[in-house]
Formats: sequence, structure tokens, C-alpha cells
Amino acid sequence: MTDLFRAESEEAALEDLHTRGLTDGLPVVIPTPDRVSQMVLASGQEADMVLGTMGPGHGLATMEKVAVAAVMAGCLPDYMPIVVAAVKAVIEPVFDLTEMQATTHCTAPLIIVNGPARISCGPVSSGYGALGPGHRANASIGRALRLTMMNIGGARPGASDMALLGHPGKFTYCLAEDEENSPFPPLHTTLGFDKEDSVVTVIGAEAPHSVIHSGDGDDPKQHEGLLDMLAIGVANPATNNAMLSSGTATVVLNPEHAGILHRAGLSRDDIAAEICERCQHPNAELHQLSPGFAPSQAGVRKAFRSPEQLLILMAGGSGLYSMVMPSWCAGTHRNSPSSSLVDFEFACEIPVHGPGELG
Amino acid sequence: MAKLGVPAVALVTQEFWPQGDFVARSLGMPDVPRVKLPHPIAGTGTANMKAVATQVALEVIKALEGCLD
Repeated sequence: MTDLFRAESEEAALEDLHTRGLTDGLPVVIPTPDRVSQMVLASGQEADMVLGTMGPGHGLATMEKVAVAAVMAGCLPDYMPIVVAAVKAVIEPVFDLTEMQATTHCTAPLIIVNGPARISCGPVSSGYGALGPGHRANASIGRALRLTMMNIGGARPGASDMALLGHPGKFTYCLAEDEENSPFPPLHTTLGFDKEDSVVTVIGAEAPHSVIHSGDGDDPKQHEGLLDMLAIGVANPATNNAMLSSGTATVVLNPEHAGILHRAGLSRDDIAAEICERCQHPNAELHQLSPGFAPSQAGVRKAFRSPEQLLILMAGGSGLYSMVMPSWCAGTHRNSPSSSLVDFEFACEIPVHGPGELG
Repeated sequence: MAKLGVPAVALVTQEFWPQGDFVARSLGMPDVPRVKLPHPIAGTGTANMKAVATQVALEVIKALEGCLD
């Protein structure tokens, strides 16, 4: 059952929510019963339907409570099926939500949307600045997931979320893959889904790190330099991936870099294998840098157990920069991704209230 | 340079043309001479760059001559 608070006005309600620690620090849309009911209606499910339990507070994620977060985050009802899929994905045991929320590392769930829901439940941007401001669906869907993690999962900075500094992606961290312009099959098909499926994949990720590379059309080996740079970015010795190893990390290729690799004859799997092979460091070097994490021994330490531990997608504008997101690499499942189908079979189209209407 | 009266033409790739519109307007120079290039240009190799240069050279010269009118 969701708690119901009373306030004299929207302004008073907002201050009350801030005081109770129920916001992310920014103003929220007040989750009035009518607004929440509409958001539940948009999901096409019952309000008391239970999606699962969210750690570390072990709160029960009902459809109604998820709808509260979606309203507070500023979601349109159309976005609700994606929000629900993202919550389902982080609840999956393979995601290690409790440990992930509690760690001192700065990890945050990056939400990747594939399939028709990118359009029908959005649009979720995959182009210029997709991880930056100005895209309503990206901003509010990621924010809704964060609010569920705080208000249902109970994560509070310095008390139960012990991230030493966190990163801005903990406010919102959501994008779609640019399937239409990518030379590769969509990411979710690599993960075992059909192309026609709509899928949300979440992966614990650090903030995006830029990887610069200018192609050289005169150099038939130009892709080699790009692969080297991506590998350096995603698993340089300062990352958990290099020191702790065996955690999944993310590579977001921009269209030009994807084109360079595609024209070199590489598939997505080939790219993952090439980067994986490059992500290894001599144990002696790691030991010198951080003896506590790297015992003195011969040989090399591979950052990734296998190429499957690299999630590769295409998004962003055309230019010099791709992005890599190194990761935490801990938890029982070692920072595994989790995917969930977007179920909008029963979703309802809900008219949006105009300004001033409180529902 | 154009504001200083120096004949100038901006070479802008297709992808960045809308940004060029925005910058030109914000600088109060909506009609600043511009020539559109295919995108991308950087890193596409000498042969391609020469081909693009050949393709747009006349347009660039005309735009510069227009600055003197």
C-alpha cells in the first residue's frame, strides 16, 4: 500500500517530499492520486501487481509505487512500459541491485532501449547528446528508475548508498540504440531477442568516458588504432575492469567509428573479441601500480573473461568521439547486464493533462 | 573575419548545417557566405578530400567574389 501524504498546496507538497528525502534533490511532479492512477492505467496492469523486491531496503515494487516514481520524474504515460521494463531488469537477481546500490563505487544503471518501443513509448533519443539534457523521454525514464531505487529500494547517500562521490548518471542514464543507422544488427538480437522485440537492457556503468579517434581513409589499418583506443579507454589500469576484472562494460560507438569498424569487415562480435583481446595488462605492471589488488606474479591479467562481457552499441552524433563506460566488476554476478522485454500489449494511451490541471 | 570586411566563406558539412544556421543568426549574420560539404570530411582520406575540394572550389571562389560586390 502506498502512503498518502496531505499538503496545503503543490509548493508545500514539494517541500514536504524534499524534507522526507523522497526526491533526487531536484523539483518533482507531485504524485497526486489522479496522476498516479493515470500512470498505472498507462501500464495496463493492476496497481497492486508486484514486480519484485528492490534492495537494499527490500521494498516491494508494486505497479503503483513505480507509477509514483514515473509521475515524480516527469514521465509521460507513454513512457511507462519502458520504466516498468527497466525496474524489472534491475530486480532480476543477475543484476545484484542490493550490492550495486550499496557499493562505494560510482556505478549507476545505464538503460539501453532497443526495438519498436524506442519510438512508440518515447521517442527515446539515440542521436546527438542522447545522454545529455534536452530529451524528455531519456531524462525522465532514467530519473524514474533512480527514484524507484531510492524510494522503493531505500538507497540514500551516505546511509545505504555508499558511493563515495557518485556520478551525474545517477540522476538519469538512458538512451536508445540508433538501429536505423547502425551497420550492425541491434544490440538486443546479440543478447538473444528477436529484432521485432522491444527490450530494455540495464548495465551498471561508470560515467561515460570519451574516446577520441580520427579516421584516416588512406590507412587500410585505421580500425586498429580505433580498437586500441577503445580498449585503453574501457580498461586502462585505473579502472576496476583492469584491477578486479571480469565485469561487463559498455562501448557506445558513434556512427563514424561504427562505419570504420564495419568497413574493416568486423561484426559486433568481432569488435568485442578484438577489444577483449587488447584489454590485458602485465601482472607486474598492475602490481607496481596497486599492490593490494594485484599480487606480484608472472603473466597478464585479462580485464574481461570473454568478448560477451563487452556490450557494444551505436548511438550519438557523427564525429570524433565514442564513449566507453567502465564498470564496478563486483557483486555475485560481477556486474552482469540484465534485459527485460517491454510489455506494452496491455498499455493504454492516456491523454496528457494541460497546464494547471491537477487531475 | 567577415565582420572585419575580410572576404570569408565558411565551409560547413551537411551534418552541421543546422548549427551553422544557428551560429550565423546568433552572430547577426544570417547571410554569411557558406558552402556545404558532404559529411564526414575528417579522416576520409586524401583522394576523397581532393575530390570534394575539386567539387566545391568554384562555389568557394564565387562566394568570395560575392564578398567584394
